[in-house]
Amino acid sequence: MESPLFDIKLNNLTKKFDSFTAVNNINFTIPKSSVTVLLGPSGCGKTTLMRMIAGLEKPTSGSIFFEEHEVTRVSTRRRNLGMVFQYPVIYRGTSVKRNLELPLLSEGLEKQVINDRVHKVAELLGISDSLNKLVEELDNGTRQKIAVGRAIAREPNIILFDEPITNIDINSKLELKRSLKELFGRLSQTIVYVTHDQTEAMTLADQIALMQDGVITQCAPPSEIYSKPGNQFAGWFLGNPGMNFIDKKHLTKTDSTVGAPTLFSQTLRVGARARDVAVLGIRAESVSVSTKEVSGAKPARVLRKSLGIGGQYLLDLDYAGLVIKVRVSHAMGREVSDKVWTTVDSDNISLFDENGVVV
Amino acid sequence: MSRSLNFKPSNDRATKITLTFACWTTAILFFLPIAWIIATALKPKNTVLDIPPKVLFVPTLQNLIDALSFSNTLSYFINSIIYSSIAVLLAILVSFLAAYSFSRFKPAGTDFLMFLLLSTRFVPAAAFVIPFFQLFNILKLKDSFLGLIIFYTMFSIPFSVWILKGFIDGVSTKFDETGLVYGAKRPHIMFKLVLPQVRSGLVAAFVFNIIFVWNEFLFNFQLGGLKTYGIPVGLFTSITKGGQVDWSFVASIGTLYVLPLALVIYFFQRYLLVGLTFGTVRGEV
Repeated sequence: MESPLFDIKLNNLTKKFDSFTAVNNINFTIPKSSVTVLLGPSGCGKTTLMRMIAGLEKPTSGSIFFEEHEVTRVSTRRRNLGMVFQYPVIYRGTSVKRNLELPLLSEGLEKQVINDRVHKVAELLGISDSLNKLVEELDNGTRQKIAVGRAIAREPNIILFDEPITNIDINSKLELKRSLKELFGRLSQTIVYVTHDQTEAMTLADQIALMQDGVITQCAPPSEIYSKPGNQFAGWFLGNPGMNFIDKKHLTKTDSTVGAPTLFSQTLRVGARARDVAVLGIRAESVSVSTKEVSGAKPARVLRKSLGIGGQYLLDLDYAGLVIKVRVSHAMGREVSDKVWTTVDSDNISLFDENGVVV
Repeated sequence: MSRSLNFKPSNDRATKITLTFACWTTAILFFLPIAWIIATALKPKNTVLDIPPKVLFVPTLQNLIDALSFSNTLSYFINSIIYSSIAVLLAILVSFLAAYSFSRFKPAGTDFLMFLLLSTRFVPAAAFVIPFFQLFNILKLKDSFLGLIIFYTMFSIPFSVWILKGFIDGVSTKFDETGLVYGAKRPHIMFKLVLPQVRSGLVAAFVFNIIFVWNEFLFNFQLGGLKTYGIPVGLFTSITKGGQVDWSFVASIGTLYVLPLALVIYFFQRYLLVGLTFGTVRGEV
């Protein structure tokens, strides 16, 4: 789709609702021609931020630029956006084709152009066979595809997605997620996608902007934000289960090393950073488990064993009062009884300071 | 105090039969006067006043044909259809615009304005008759379709705004925002995106108001005239023919009068519930 590519620059952007600050002084650039996912728990300000980009919400202070054009006070109509909402918005009582056409007709485009675009979009989304069907005959997943189709048929500079998969039933959800992934690969526009679902974010994003309490706490590609969380919140929020945190009372420190003797036998050589370390973060899959005693491994009591999605087992392990969650393969999980021996991969341990920020 | 839980099956057969019987008896009791009117309309003229009343008879359409061929009957019908349908449709259009504004733009004092709107229906109709009579005389609107349509439109707006506001409140503002994002103008958003979502509300408002206006007697009698009388007034003025009441004629007009409304209610009864609850119980209609 041909359209000029725009960065979105947010300068000191703040939005307050009475005394509640939904978005707090955000300075951030969403790079052109990329998929940026705003991820965070409910109430973190991600939807408010997107609505300000769309012009549906006026910022309390700060400014928004599309490339070098300031749009802070430009009406939604004139921002040349596409937007898909959580609930599939459709023109009731009309065909799929008509649904895709209507916004183009009101733009006054030529009939042939409209027709070409409608067919191109329908093909892109795999709904060419349904063009003549009434929208009422379709499930929510397909209706949402129509909403997506309408957004891209206008060939806007920026496309916004506000949790478009949340209200879709589980089967259509997977299919829609696949279609979106494929679609995003073929579109060149700047895409901003809001979700609270980390798997959705991991699947679709070029970069994830993680939000908490109205602030973007970290922005990085999915693999990086998962393996190198910038703060404890990122470690906790991403991953299922979230990161295990080992606090100060279980740590032993020298000027240049940190260790957690109850959990692993090696010491981590971290140089001068050792002074600031207050918490260690360990992912559930970074712990190797054995049912037999291994040299250097630490013993742990199995408090609970549960079968997770994909057949992997989740273990709650107790190291003399320190409890962590560990994920093991199906085969290992079946073998595990009440005691195991574990080692931790040093390369995958995150270090955080008193404020929960990575050191 | 402890209570033991004792769940009795609620579909107990005897209870079901008793309740069904009670419902049918009540319904028949309420329907009897209408059945009596319809039966009278279909009875031969000379058996109408028989004591005891004849339950079994050979039905005839002669009374209905006579009633329809009586000088003004047809024009009463046509008048009723003209002013009630045009007024109600106009009222729904105006009400939709008003309800949309109240729902989406929430002007200052929306609640008070909504109350004020409905307050016109608090006053007994009789209190309005003389002022309206004077007003219509001055504006030369008496005995004109324009006058009656204006009056009944005004008469239908408050209730329609209430019904439709409830429905529009239930339509997510995402519909409006989708339109705004696409650069659509407000009429496009209102009529193409929001209106189809409140279709059942529109039908409910139509059914309610058509019942009100179709049955309205007082203002049609006072503000109308020979040219514009509808069926209720027609029925009243033709009740006595030649010094005595012609019951066959009354029953025939009554039957013809109830029939269109009965059909409207029968086909749109599912919308009455959603209308009565101002859109809060929407269901799949």
